[in-house]
Amino acid sequence: MVAGRSARADETLRYLSSRLVTTVLIVIGAMLLLFTLSSIVPGDPATTLFGPQATPELSRRFITEMGLDQPVLVRLWRFFSNVAVGNLGVDVISGRPVTSLIREVIPYTLILTFTALGFAALVGIPLGIYAATHRGSALDNGLAFVSVAFIAVPSFVVAILLLLVFSIWLDWLPVLGASRTGALGDEIKRMILPTLALALGWIGFIARLIRTSMLEVMNEPYIRTSRAYGLSRCLVTYKYALKNACIPTITLLGLGIGRLLGNAVLVEIVFARPGLGRLIYNAISERNYPIVQGAALVVVVLFVVVNLIVDMSYSAIDPRIRHGAARAGARA
Amino acid sequence: MTHPFNRRDFLTGVAGTALAYAIDAPAQSASGPRTNITVRIDRDLAVLDPAARTGPWDGNVIRCVQQRLMKQKPNSSELELDAAAEVKQVSPTVIEFRLKPNQMFTDGFGEMTAEDVKFSFERIGLPAKDAVATYKNDWLYLTGVEVKSKYEGRIVLSQPRANLFDVVIGDVSGCIVCKKAVEQRAADIATKPVGSGPYQVVSLERQKGATLKRNPAYTGRKPYYEEIAIRFISDARTTDLALRSGELDFAVLSPSAAEPLRSVSGLMLNEQPSIAYVWLGMNVEKAPFNDIRVRQAIRLALDVDQMLTAGYNGKAPRLNTLLPPQILGHWREAPVYKRNVAEAKSLLAAAGVSNAKVKLLILNQAAYQNMALVARALLQEVGITVEVDSQEGGTYWNSGKGDVGKNVDMFIVRFNGKHDPNFIMQWFVSKQIGEWNWQRWNSPEFDALFAQSAGELDQAKRRQEVIDAQKLMDKSAAFVWLTNETNTLVHRNWIKPAGVPGWIDWQYDDWTAA
Repeated sequence: MVAGRSARADETLRYLSSRLVTTVLIVIGAMLLLFTLSSIVPGDPATTLFGPQATPELSRRFITEMGLDQPVLVRLWRFFSNVAVGNLGVDVISGRPVTSLIREVIPYTLILTFTALGFAALVGIPLGIYAATHRGSALDNGLAFVSVAFIAVPSFVVAILLLLVFSIWLDWLPVLGASRTGALGDEIKRMILPTLALALGWIGFIARLIRTSMLEVMNEPYIRTSRAYGLSRCLVTYKYALKNACIPTITLLGLGIGRLLGNAVLVEIVFARPGLGRLIYNAISERNYPIVQGAALVVVVLFVVVNLIVDMSYSAIDPRIRHGAARAGARA
Repeated sequence: MTHPFNRRDFLTGVAGTALAYAIDAPAQSASGPRTNITVRIDRDLAVLDPAARTGPWDGNVIRCVQQRLMKQKPNSSELELDAAAEVKQVSPTVIEFRLKPNQMFTDGFGEMTAEDVKFSFERIGLPAKDAVATYKNDWLYLTGVEVKSKYEGRIVLSQPRANLFDVVIGDVSGCIVCKKAVEQRAADIATKPVGSGPYQVVSLERQKGATLKRNPAYTGRKPYYEEIAIRFISDARTTDLALRSGELDFAVLSPSAAEPLRSVSGLMLNEQPSIAYVWLGMNVEKAPFNDIRVRQAIRLALDVDQMLTAGYNGKAPRLNTLLPPQILGHWREAPVYKRNVAEAKSLLAAAGVSNAKVKLLILNQAAYQNMALVARALLQEVGITVEVDSQEGGTYWNSGKGDVGKNVDMFIVRFNGKHDPNFIMQWFVSKQIGEWNWQRWNSPEFDALFAQSAGELDQAKRRQEVIDAQKLMDKSAAFVWLTNETNTLVHRNWIKPAGVPGWIDWQYDDWTAA
């Protein structure tokens, strides 16, 4: 028993180490790509921002400050050396540390992204279950149509439609997605529409996925056996079937973080809401590479960490994976 | 019978109040007049330090946080005294000033003195050797500011400057910062400015904007609005919706974006001619544009009015010369070229050009794209095939620079202006080839007229020199002037905004109730 537990711990440690190595490689790869692109793309912040006011000396200064006159590998080395001591660089325009700029906007993005994802799961999972348990019903067919519609419509279109309905016609909710005063109540009110705009597509995704997984799981022999043992339909559906049907959804949610962060840029622009996506978007337009690099690193790390957590959560949810890992560990 | 107040009643009450507030809030914000307003800017505020500002959006805030010796009168480009009790030009190169006493800087930084003026001007015009000052050219010819007493000083130039008052002393580079605060706060001064002007910055947040509050210590004209919230909204569609919902009280929009708001109750549209100038330029060094007959043919083949209809719904005034009518030296009698296909064709034939293929570089914005498409169709008729090269800002603004600029054929470009002819003319001198003179037009006569008018203090003589310079531009046929644009101010009907004509420089401190 003790040996089994220790083997499992070793296996987990080995798994975590390999994921950590992969994570580091992904981050280095992503940054290498970014640095290479920044060397190819024409333009410097001085010219982009100041237009005719940009003197050649000023352009040169920005280029030097951003290290664009150095080879990509040198820049990459310097960047990671600074990252190692917690320094993501300095915004060449305002002279402020990139970390402080990211710290200012990241709460907006995280709150928006995770609220949208949570909301999508909260609505999508019951809808999917209902559709699976009422297969072929009018509601199932209706949900199929609505889900596909939600998936197909881009979030910025949804955002504008929501604004027209809830802010202009009904006059219930504000247009601008961030409070001026920072008051909690106001912030919550201003988050409703951006969250909805981001979440609607995911509700469709999750509902479709849960429905399909549930239908698959419900046909498994162990479900039939459970029912034959006299367990209630409700218990079998919600305790045994749903748990297994959720696994693909969890994978989707992990991958979805990346997509949501991408969509968040458009939602942040439409609702004039601060955020990491908008910070990167503006920085790219201004060729302010220290911000692009710092913020991109944060996004990549965020994405990789969330997916690592998702992977780790499989074993917590699915005992087959947990026991499979233990058996593999014992064999080793 | 009494009904005890229980948990359910409490929750119902809270929910009801919240819902009522949620439903009512936008309506409340739309009612006026108020003493706090919200205005939109389309670029994020970055640096609230005059020496390192990033553009007019920063400048508009800086000018109401910091005082200048002189500032523009409301809705005018004419100057009046601000921090100075007296400003006297004692010779073409010396200006004496005397500050008003008791002008206090915010955050307890004490009284403004002539030392602060010296520090403010010299940090821009005479920066340390290793420092690169973005706006050094604003203080061109400055040799120093001499402090005579606590409140008195002399600005000394090496050469006369005709536009010193209009574009330097009365503008952002003429803002007086607190020496002690700049030294103490170092880089933080960019986000935590200290000033003595009508407003103070109480909050500044990236991507959100700033909140300005009336400065109680300001000794000048008290601003009408207690608080101005400046919101960064990049999207024109969001701006439209925020104006409709009452969350926004003021925005400057393009005529086509503003038009749908004309019918919205409580909003006003106010069209103001801009001093930004848009033109189609041709690279005179590159074939086939190195032949003046080809340039003349293109000028005759284009129909500027048609292009403006496509680009601006016909709401932008036509420009026939470099300087818009509001600027000193505007050439009123400049030729108005009418489309003449036959003459254009004969000029091309004389130049031996047939079936030419050229590129038209534009910024990827709707107005330029529409104008470029019309230009393409019009030039096709005279046998010139145009490929429209639409680029995003970062790439576009670098296209005419250095050796890359030698490859540019034709382009449509827009520059912001100021109320000074030399500021507008400066990009066309030969020194700017490879920088901002994308035409690569080299005219020693133009350069000479530019230099002469820059130092000419006699207004009549200066006007004539500037007109003569525009005649040279016309003769080169390297420019097809398009428009000086129109800014549409959209605002609540109870607001009376103020700005220097052209509406690039806003005067928040002079905004009042209508």
